[in-house]
Amino acid sequence: MAIDTIDDVLCNGCGICVRNCPMDVIRMDKKNGKAYIKYPEDCMICGVCLECPQKAIHLLPGYKLPTLLGWG
Amino acid sequence: MPLESVFETDVLIIGGGMAGCFAAIKAKEQGQEVILVDKGYVSKSGETPYAGDTMVFNPGWGHNLDEWLTQVSTIGEYVNNRHWNEIVFKDSYARYLDLESWGVQFLKENEVPRRLSHPLKNLGLPDRDKFPPLVSEVVHWLPGFPEIIRKQMVKSGVRIMDRFMVTSLIQQDGRVVGAIGMTIEDTEVNILKAKATVISAGGGGFRPLGYPTHQLTADGHVMAYCAGAVITGKEFVSPQSINPEHPGWPPMYLMFSSGHSAALPGGWSNRKLVNAEGNEVPVRGMAWHGWIDAEYEAHVGRAPLFTEDSQGNRHVVGGPGAHGSMLGHATDGICPVNDSCATNIHGLFAAGDSLGTSFVGASYSGFGFATMHAAVTGARAGLGAAEYASQAAKLEVDGELLTRLKKRLLAPLERRGGFSPRWVTQILQNTLLPYFVLYIKKEDRMKTALSTVEFLRDHIVPKMYARDDHELRLAHETNNMVINAEMKLRASLFRTESRGNHYREDYPRRDDTSWLAWVILKEENGEMRAFKEVIPEEWRPDMSRTYEERYPMRFPEE
Repeated sequence: MAIDTIDDVLCNGCGICVRNCPMDVIRMDKKNGKAYIKYPEDCMICGVCLECPQKAIHLLPGYKLPTLLGWG
Repeated sequence: MPLESVFETDVLIIGGGMAGCFAAIKAKEQGQEVILVDKGYVSKSGETPYAGDTMVFNPGWGHNLDEWLTQVSTIGEYVNNRHWNEIVFKDSYARYLDLESWGVQFLKENEVPRRLSHPLKNLGLPDRDKFPPLVSEVVHWLPGFPEIIRKQMVKSGVRIMDRFMVTSLIQQDGRVVGAIGMTIEDTEVNILKAKATVISAGGGGFRPLGYPTHQLTADGHVMAYCAGAVITGKEFVSPQSINPEHPGWPPMYLMFSSGHSAALPGGWSNRKLVNAEGNEVPVRGMAWHGWIDAEYEAHVGRAPLFTEDSQGNRHVVGGPGAHGSMLGHATDGICPVNDSCATNIHGLFAAGDSLGTSFVGASYSGFGFATMHAAVTGARAGLGAAEYASQAAKLEVDGELLTRLKKRLLAPLERRGGFSPRWVTQILQNTLLPYFVLYIKKEDRMKTALSTVEFLRDHIVPKMYARDDHELRLAHETNNMVINAEMKLRASLFRTESRGNHYREDYPRRDDTSWLAWVILKEENGEMRAFKEVIPEEWRPDMSRTYEERYPMRFPEE
């Protein structure tokens, strides 16, 4: 359920996801004015980005975590 | 070259969760200028978005203080701080009214707040009758409360700086006179000069990946510790976990979804915990204690575990768990020296999970305790800091000191090579997260982990490098997590007994002769040292009662 994609067509560049992501995973592409996933490896699977008013953000299905940590 | 700006204020608040927001609003109401900074966006950062309810103590609703204190002391196993229990309980109704006056909406029935009893109150746990009644109650707010509190701050005239990370306190002539930090996106270095500073930056735990707040980096605890503050409660954990790969899963867990309440899975009371061999696992004790039993089943090789309902159907609900989260919610942190949440450092206050009141002691005993503890201590810290600021003289900050702090801030960005902070964090988490390090503890395993942590601290952390602004933040967080790991291991090694959620295989019983006491950590001659502080005589349990009566919960192998 980590962040997977941001739909370029749906994204209207409002920047709410960039602002809200506590892990600074998402940044704004200054060239096209759309949000993009810059640091996917730091996603902590909190789901705060799902508040996207355009429903442009999609998560990976299921839980995918490193096994070593998974056996924590 | 990064930009640099200087801001001046009366009161600086670091961290904008429940505690920081209360501190900011209360300080502002006293006529002080207030700046509040937060690493994220206030209302979406830290643990705030996941809070669903808050405890309210109100004699008008039939609550009895002695009964509430007994609940906390029995489950917290007597190392809860009853003075702070009383303060938080007695202030709680006023803070509830504050929230309501700001527009936070509570679940109500016929205009009266709907109070919910302790969710474990009616569960058929085997040891239930050995515990005193669970009397604490919570009220639920409707979604959106963090945004409402943010609006109230703006309305009050608090200056909010979102997405700003503080890296060091500025300490001059023995007094904290502000902080230095950077904007998250473009590393603009900012110097925040303040007459008084409040740390309300949350707790410091090692939570499993997959838990929505697993990334607790202990920034507040560590920056205060580095300024000479005294830290307590680091040996206690609060089990909250989510991880499908783990062989065992806990008998209770919280399900989260963004912006909504934490809620217990329905119907647990009709289910039993079953191990891989099909045998029922006795869940002893109360509240969070039961996690040790579940974890112990995994430890001895009888996982995976399931819940089984009365029809024999097995369930693994949501994300089944790993070990406990390594954080003492509302217990560990920076020690207060008075009822205004001042610390032993002049000009420095702390609140919420950053403040080590030992509110819950050795085990978390209630629901909604952490949010109300944050509200009450936040309000008190805000008022305390405002009073301090109103009397404090302005200090000119030494330029050389600022240059040194700025150099420290930017150092990882200026190194051309070294270790990636992401890699170091991975090594650290792999060292700390396994259940057999900080959950089922033993001296040899903790010493092994500590030796790795010390190596990271001395050899790896000083050589971390950042390729961009994002990694610079990670580098500072990793540094803080390493120091926090050292705190947790040293405190856990020092407490040579088991108590509450501090379980040691090599000392599986409470030791009331030696350990009706708190573990205090402070820096001495450049080293982290642990000390013991005995609890007040009048808070000790009645020693004429048997051990089993004083402690209804049995540890595995006890």
